[in-house]
Amino acid sequence: MGNNRVEILLIEDNVNDAELAIRAFRKGNINNNLIHLKNGAEAIEFLFGTGKFEGRDIHNKPKVILLDLKMPKMDGLEVLARIKTNELTKAIPVVVLTSSKEHPDIECAYSLGANSYIVKPVEFDEFAKVVTDLGFYWLLKNQPPV
Amino acid sequence: MDKKEKSDELFIANKKLSFQKEENEKRAAELVIANNELIFQNVEKGKRAAELVIANKELAFQNEEKEKRVAELVIANKELAFQNGEKEKRAAELVLANKELLFQIEEKKKRAVELIDSYNEVDELEKRVKERTEDLESFSYSVSHDLRTPLRAINGYADILEEDYGTVLDVEGKRLLGKVKSNAKKMGVLIDDLLTFSRLGRKGITKSKVDMDKLLQTALSEINQSTTHNAEIKFDNLLPAVADYNLLQHVFTNLLSNAIKYAAKKEKPLIAIRSERNNGELIFSVSDNGVGFDMQYAHKLFGVFQRLHSDEEFSGTGVGLAIVQRIIQKHDGKVWAEGKEGKGATFYFSLPDLDEKKIENE
Repeated sequence: MGNNRVEILLIEDNVNDAELAIRAFRKGNINNNLIHLKNGAEAIEFLFGTGKFEGRDIHNKPKVILLDLKMPKMDGLEVLARIKTNELTKAIPVVVLTSSKEHPDIECAYSLGANSYIVKPVEFDEFAKVVTDLGFYWLLKNQPPV
Repeated sequence: MDKKEKSDELFIANKKLSFQKEENEKRAAELVIANNELIFQNVEKGKRAAELVIANKELAFQNEEKEKRVAELVIANKELAFQNGEKEKRAAELVLANKELLFQIEEKKKRAVELIDSYNEVDELEKRVKERTEDLESFSYSVSHDLRTPLRAINGYADILEEDYGTVLDVEGKRLLGKVKSNAKKMGVLIDDLLTFSRLGRKGITKSKVDMDKLLQTALSEINQSTTHNAEIKFDNLLPAVADYNLLQHVFTNLLSNAIKYAAKKEKPLIAIRSERNNGELIFSVSDNGVGFDMQYAHKLFGVFQRLHSDEEFSGTGVGLAIVQRIIQKHDGKVWAEGKEGKGATFYFSLPDLDEKKIENE
């Protein structure tokens, strides 16, 4: 596994949440090769090597995708549907991030093929723990798709 | 006169006499015949007379009959006249009744139109309720998402500040930072409570037979995990109820947490849970020997954000009892409370005493 291997793709429009998540990963020593993209359209371009990611090696796939559901323009569900209906990307584990378990889209996310979801807790400590556990689980326990 | 003459004369006289005698006899015979005839005629007359008498009687009888018939006809005529009168009255009544019917038909048509209008109105209202509910759902989602996001940032950055710059801050700086964090945390709880409250409004209930002792055990162990307390909690052989298990557990968790919280300052906090059957209702109560409340504020207990104590005295969001009330109302029950300042409080709720087999789930 080379240094350029993408391990975590974080798709999150809120810069605060993204910063806190990245910090939490770093605290859990799993911050290497994390890519943060700020919207769905950018994520799709990244995964399929189009637009500003034209020419990227699309076989360098992330081991796990953390996907915020509520994003402007292309929202999380749309990104999820695109990932899970494409042969190239459908085996990548996708963990949906949401602000509340009240979210009506959680069920929808599962039906689209989401592998897991986490409610972002208000408490940072909890958040850090959830994000770290999650990172460990998908990066270490799960065999990434080849 | 000579003899001859005399004899002639005698002869003639004799002849005359015999003639007369013959005549007499003839007359006599005729008279007899006439007499017989008279007798016959008499008899006939007698017969005729008798016949006449009979005919007369018959006529008299017929006359009587005719008079009777006439009388009867008069009566019948009167009767007919009367009946005619009645019929006219009836006809008039029918005309009136007919008008009344027409009027009623018109009224019914009006009512039908009104009913259709009100049905349309109900439809319209239902549509609006649905829209409002959808609004509420999207509102609660926005609340949970949009309010939690900045809160998470406040908390997160406060933590970073503490971790990375804790050594730079003096005691006062750390206290202020603690205030920021605890308030952000409190707001998170408040949002969660509000969301629970709004979710309960929309959620249907699933009823089943609930073992209250077991449910209370579960509620208690949940409380004991998050709270340390020294309250003595008594309950035994509570009546089973037909209700939504999870929602009812929520009710008891709320009532017990309150009882523990408001009795915590007592040396020996005592809490008792009781149940009784009363007029087709099950009544459950949670009593404590805590700070109690002034009955004049009892109506405020179950309102959202209504509190009878300051946050410094007893922390809380003022949503818990509103949730309790909402759950019980969804079960067609009631909530109420009794208390006295410094003398503890008892919170009651009633549930319909349902037959488990007849329950219909929403």
